[in-house]
Amino acid sequence: MHEANPNRNAGRRSEDARTRHRIGDRGDHFLKRLEGETGANISACYQCERCTNACPVSPFMDVKPHQVIRYVQLGWRERLLASATVWVCLSCEMCTTYCPNDVGVAETIQHLRKMAARSAIRPRELQLATFHRTFIEELQRFGRVNEFWLMGALNLKPGILKDKLRTGALKEEIELGLTLWRQGKLKLIPHRCKAVGEIRTLVQNRNGENL
Amino acid sequence: MRLAFYPGCSLEGMASDYAESIEAVFRRLEVDLVEIEDWSCCGATAAHSLSEAMAVALPARNIAAAEKLGLDIVVPCANCFNRMRFSQVMIEKGIYDVPWPVTGKIKIHDMTRLLAEEKMLDKISQGTVRPLSGLKLVSYYGCQMVRPPRITGFTDYENPQTLDRLAAAVGAEALDWSYKTTCCGASIGIGRRDIQETLTRKLLIKARQAGAEAIVVSCPLCQANLDLIQAKESGPATPVFYFTELLRLALISGGRPQHWLRKHVADPLPLLREKGVIP
Repeated sequence: MHEANPNRNAGRRSEDARTRHRIGDRGDHFLKRLEGETGANISACYQCERCTNACPVSPFMDVKPHQVIRYVQLGWRERLLASATVWVCLSCEMCTTYCPNDVGVAETIQHLRKMAARSAIRPRELQLATFHRTFIEELQRFGRVNEFWLMGALNLKPGILKDKLRTGALKEEIELGLTLWRQGKLKLIPHRCKAVGEIRTLVQNRNGENL
Repeated sequence: MRLAFYPGCSLEGMASDYAESIEAVFRRLEVDLVEIEDWSCCGATAAHSLSEAMAVALPARNIAAAEKLGLDIVVPCANCFNRMRFSQVMIEKGIYDVPWPVTGKIKIHDMTRLLAEEKMLDKISQGTVRPLSGLKLVSYYGCQMVRPPRITGFTDYENPQTLDRLAAAVGAEALDWSYKTTCCGASIGIGRRDIQETLTRKLLIKARQAGAEAIVVSCPLCQANLDLIQAKESGPATPVFYFTELLRLALISGGRPQHWLRKHVADPLPLLREKGVIP
């Protein structure tokens, strides 16, 4: 009988999968930690999916915004930090703005991105993760950020140039650079702030504080 | 009227045309812009992605410098405005300490709201010497200027009006459309060109469907995204103007617009000639 009705079996299995993960199974440590650090009302989410529907990049996310909130409630830290979502999120704040329960979805994802940047987990979107780091390095170098130097520095990071050569993105980038150069929109010589030392100290002291 | 001016890094490079038009417009409106001395980067998305303490401290240095001048700050870039307001709010709430004195006594204005105030708007419509009549456009605000409302102070964050009012003041027709505050993809194109192109192209298509001949923006990154994507297109271009470029065009007669409007990929000159705005 068991083999004669595979459908019933499959149904039971998915029901098992549903009941296997209950909120609180892993304790509420992760949930409480995130609520404390972000001030977001993560427990208040009732999965209406309005955040996911408002999100312009949800089709490109592996864990959708409403799922992020559920995963936090379940304490699934590793899955969240290894997701593409934390890097793909644009911080456009659509989700937070339209949440009926004031959950602070964008703030939660941003906080997870900070945790991911600091964790040993390999970022799913290497180029985006490297970009943020390079931006801060350039900021420390000049006090301001020069677009031309930023892109140059990014391309010199391990793996980036190879990736861009493979996808053909490098050719596009050079064409774009030439267009901007012809329009006089490319500033080749960066401006260095007088107080760059002050900014360097600040970044070094603050980077890492409170994540 | 005197204001502290925080240009932001983009205005030194890719948005140098925005900077030029701001200078011309404010001179014409007799508003003194005092550039914050030795200003530094606001940290943009990157600082916010790595450390909140850093994201609060970086803009605070510039706010403190403006407080020393005793002047309100005006910020043209949407992201810089957002970051500075965020920093001010977090310091006000006492969540972070910063090494510079920030009391919160000065206001941080985004440039569109400052110019769309009633008094300024009157001054602009009265000073219009070259009305942009017949020009149909949609206004595009993007995310960072309007969201989150508790930081930016926008009450009409779903259907903001500042750019529409400014466009109407100089005689252009601002059309209604539903994508005023839908994200253009911002800097995600650096790692995921596919995502950015999908989002930007959708905006462009929706703008054209609404009947727009041009788009008016206030954010350097939105302008770059919407303009540069048209390099790959054939067919009629949809020029993407900074709102100050439209004001400059309308408020200042002569001034060789054919020259300074060259910095666009989607060439605005044919459209402006067709409308009789420039010869």
